[in-house]
This record gives sequence, structure tokens and C-alpha cells, in this order.
Amino acid sequence: MLEKTDKADGSGLAISLENVDKIYPTATGSLEVFRSISLQIRSGEFISLVGPSGCGKSTILKIIAGLEPFNSGVVKVGGEEPRAGRRDIGFMFQQSVLMPWRTVRENVALPFEIAHDKSEKSKQRVLDLIDLVGLKNNLKLLPSELSGGMQQRVAFARTLALDPSILLLDEPFAALDEFKREFLNVEVAKIHDDLKKTSILVTHSIPEAVLMSDRVIALGAHPGRVLGDIAIDLPRPRTPDLIGTTKFQNAVKQIRDALAVTEVGAAA
Amino acid sequence: MSATHVQNAVRPLEVPLYQRKTVRIGLPILILLITCLSWEGLSRSGVVNPITLPPISAIAFAFFELLGKRFFWEAVIVTLQETMLGFVIGASVGLVIGAMTGTFPMFRVALFPFIVAFQNTPRVALAPVFLTWFGFGMTSKVVMAAVICFFPVVINTVAGLAAVDQNGRLLYKTLGASTRQTFFKFTLPSAAPITFAGIKTALTLALLGAIVAEFVGGSEGLGVLVKEFNFQLRVDMAFAVILVLASIGLILYGLIEIAERKIIFWVKK
Ligand SMILES: Nc1ncnc2c1ncn2[C@@H]1O[C@H](COP(=O)(O)OP(=O)(O)OP(=O)(O)O)[C@@H](O)[C@H]1O
Ligand SMILES: [Mg+2]
Repeated sequence: MLEKTDKADGSGLAISLENVDKIYPTATGSLEVFRSISLQIRSGEFISLVGPSGCGKSTILKIIAGLEPFNSGVVKVGGEEPRAGRRDIGFMFQQSVLMPWRTVRENVALPFEIAHDKSEKSKQRVLDLIDLVGLKNNLKLLPSELSGGMQQRVAFARTLALDPSILLLDEPFAALDEFKREFLNVEVAKIHDDLKKTSILVTHSIPEAVLMSDRVIALGAHPGRVLGDIAIDLPRPRTPDLIGTTKFQNAVKQIRDALAVTEVGAAA
Repeated sequence: MSATHVQNAVRPLEVPLYQRKTVRIGLPILILLITCLSWEGLSRSGVVNPITLPPISAIAFAFFELLGKRFFWEAVIVTLQETMLGFVIGASVGLVIGAMTGTFPMFRVALFPFIVAFQNTPRVALAPVFLTWFGFGMTSKVVMAAVICFFPVVINTVAGLAAVDQNGRLLYKTLGASTRQTFFKFTLPSAAPITFAGIKTALTLALLGAIVAEFVGGSEGLGVLVKEFNFQLRVDMAFAVILVLASIGLILYGLIEIAERKIIFWVKK
């Protein structure tokens, strides 16, 4: 039902960060969020970022989306410097960021409105996306009338609106119940596979990261750095029944071990 | 047979006494009645001089007498014109200056200290000066009303713009929105609720500004009527005009509440 468009070329690096440093200026001086981070993401790949709160996961996504400057290093997105406003990136923020004066439908239609796209096709797509996230009976509700989980689903539908080839998902379904979360994760995996997206997911759930990803990047804090880069060798399409397999459990353990280094390091 | 069902029926929650409709409407009316009756009694019994405190009934008569007078309606129109003109001018200039102050840091750094200083000055003190500058006509009243409602609008517009969600700004950036789109489709509506609170205050203040300016020096308007009736010791008439002013204030407030509910419909009270 969601139409397929050929945007990703399916080969080569979609996103790369090389030795990127990020320092935030703060009232009391400066905060080194991470030092010399390097990440390579191939086109069509699905990776997850896991790590403790404050290690800079959201900041990495913002740098890729061109929303946050960085202090040194090289970042390339589709061969170019990161730049805000390229519509082939769909960024779902950690907060839903819905416009309180817009109904569910108007919020999902916002990207089209800004792109001056008034076509019937885009109107239909808005409805299809709302249907996908299970809110077709709530078209006219305002965000204040939605639960946190419903708000996140609206934000997810909006993220997909312009059919971006790169998906940056910052804890997209954190406010959803287990059941809907699993359903939407399966949808994300489907969209990623079928429409050849390049996706980065930030999550606090290690099993979720394993289930969704080709690779999981374990990050540590103070300063942020890569602790482990774990390839997930599970067949696609991914379905929740993989969770019981030994391969799955091993991957989860590998990530846990990689992350545990920080805790020991922090305690020392 | 149906008795068992009745047992299971949900009992409505106990409504506190003060929330009951009869109490919420009845109590204020009762207080009004008591006040009027004791006022009437006080005045008629001669405990206070009926010239300085005329009985409520006399004020009611005066009120209806006023309604039939041409000069009264002319005064209403003058004061309303001063208030509305002052409000529109003061609020518009306030919106523009506030938007610039809230948007451009250079503006903010340059202007904000003065705005705060003026905000804390009793601005009605300027009324005599405006009288000297703009004369006894309507202009000095319009200027007073405008100046007095300018400040809450500026302050609230700046506050509204400062409260805009930074993540929302980032979202519009990722969507490739133009500066214009971001302003009209994001910044403006985001700042609207707080800005509108300033506009509401401004309308109430505009009426105040017009009346004060009329007191200080003028030949027409409801403020002038209050003053003149007072000089003639027609306190009943003066009270009747004050009653009219109260009604005008209430009506203006009601209108702007309706406008508010239409414009920032997403803010639930
Ligand atoms: N705009 C900013 N200005 C100053 N410091 C910031 C800013 N944004 C983030 N930080 C700081 O940078 C660090 C990393 O923040 P970031 O939001 O990237 O963490 P995160 O890994 O996404 O955490 P979480 O899992 O809690 O979302 C934090 O210590 C945070 O306080
Ligand atoms: Mg985050």
C-alpha cells in the first residue's frame, strides 16, 4: 500500500563519520560529548545505536541531519557534507514534536505542505500512513487529545511522508505498549527492506536493536565513544520469533558485554 | 427482578456543595442582594449623606435616565473610539516591536532594558504630558491608551517567542522550510498563546488609559462625564456612568475571549 520509490542506490556508503569530535558550549564552560567517533553505514543498512543516557546518540543523529555543528572530523551523507533540509532524510525526534494546532492529519501532511505538494497522491499518502500507524479513526484529533504513544505514531507517519531514503529514528516507540511497539517495529523493518532505506535506530532496548539491525553500535559515555560494533547475522525479514534463537541470544550477550565495559570503567 | 440491577447501578460521584449550580449562581446573587439592600438602607436611613452615597434605587433611575440622553451616547462613542484606536495602534506596534525584539538578538540587547524600565513606570503619569503635546481632543487619549497597552503586548510577544519549542524549529529545518514558512507556520502559532494573554491585558488597559487621559483634561467622553457629574454632586449619575464603564469593560473582555477561543483554539482551559 505504500508505494515504492527508487531513491537509494543500494551500494556504497550512505553515511560516514570519521574522527568526529563534538563539544557543546555550556554555561559553566564546555561539555565534550564525544571524542573521535567513527561510523560507517552502507546504503541499505540498518544499524542501531545503544548506550547509556547522555552518551551522545541524539547528537550523532542531529549531526548527520545537519542540525548540529561538530568540532572536528569529517561527516559525509550521500557523499555530501551534512545539510539540514534535504528531504531524503526522515528524522523522527526523541520527542514527538507535533504542532498542537494541527490535527493528526494536518501534522502528517506538514512535510507536503512545506514542499508545496498539493497533489491528490500526497493527500492519499497521508491517509495511508495514518492508516499504517493505526490512527485512521483519529484524523481530526489534536495532539493534546492523544496519548503519548499515539503522538509518537503520528510523528512516525510524518517522518515517512516524503518517503525519505535515510531514516533517523530516535527512540521512536518508547512510549508505546509492548504489543504496538512490536507491530510498528515489524512495519519499520518491512519499510526498510521493501523500500531500500538506510536506517539508524536509537533505542534503549538491546533485544529491539538486535531484532531490527544489521549492526548494533554500542556506545559508552564520558566522553562518548564506540565500545563495540556487533554484526547481527540473522536472516531477513526479521520477525519476533527470532528472539528465542541462540544466535539472537548470543548477539544480545555480546552487546551487553560491550556495554558493561563502561560500567566497570565508570566505577574504577 | 429489576431490583438486583438497581443494586449494581453506578452511583454518581458526590458533588461538592460549592460546585452545585444552585450554589454557584445563588451565592453571588445573594451577596449582591445583601450589598444593595444594606447600601439602600444606609443611604435612606441618613446614616450617610445621600448626596455622597445616593441609594442604589437612585443610581438605577439615573442609569435609565442616562440611556435616554444624546450626550451620553456621544460620550460612549468617543470613549470607545479612543479605547479601540489606542488598543489597535498600541497592540500592533507592540506586536511588531515585540516580534523584532524576540527574533533579533541585537534588537533585544538594545531595547529590552528600556522596555523593562518603562514597564515598571506608572505610565498613566504621562497623561498630563500627552495633554500638553496633543491637546484636549481625542489624540491625547488615543496616545495614552496606545502607550499603556503597548508594553504588555511587547513583553508577552518576547516571552511567547522565547518559549517556542527548539525541537519544533529543528523539525522545520529538516523539512527544508523557508524562513517565511517557519515564521508563519511555526513560530507565530507557537508564540500565539502567550502573546494573546498580553493582548487581552492590553484591551483592559486601553480603556483605563482612555479614561485617565479624559480625567486629566478633555471635553468629551465617559471619563469627562464621571468627573463633571461628581463636580455637580450628582454622585448617582457618576455611579451610573461607572456602571456603564464596567459593562463596556466586561463586553470588551467577552469579545476578546471569544476571539481568543477562535484564534488559539488548541489551548484548552
Ligand atoms: N543543545 C545542547 N547544549 C548543551 N549540551 C547538550 C545539548 N544537547 C545535548 N547536550 C548534552 O550532550 C550530551 C549528549 O546528549 P544527547 O542528547 O546526544 O544524549 P543521548 O545519548 O541521546 O541521551 P538519551 O539516551 O538520554 O536521549 C548530554 O550530556 C547533554 O546534556
Ligand atoms: Mg537522546
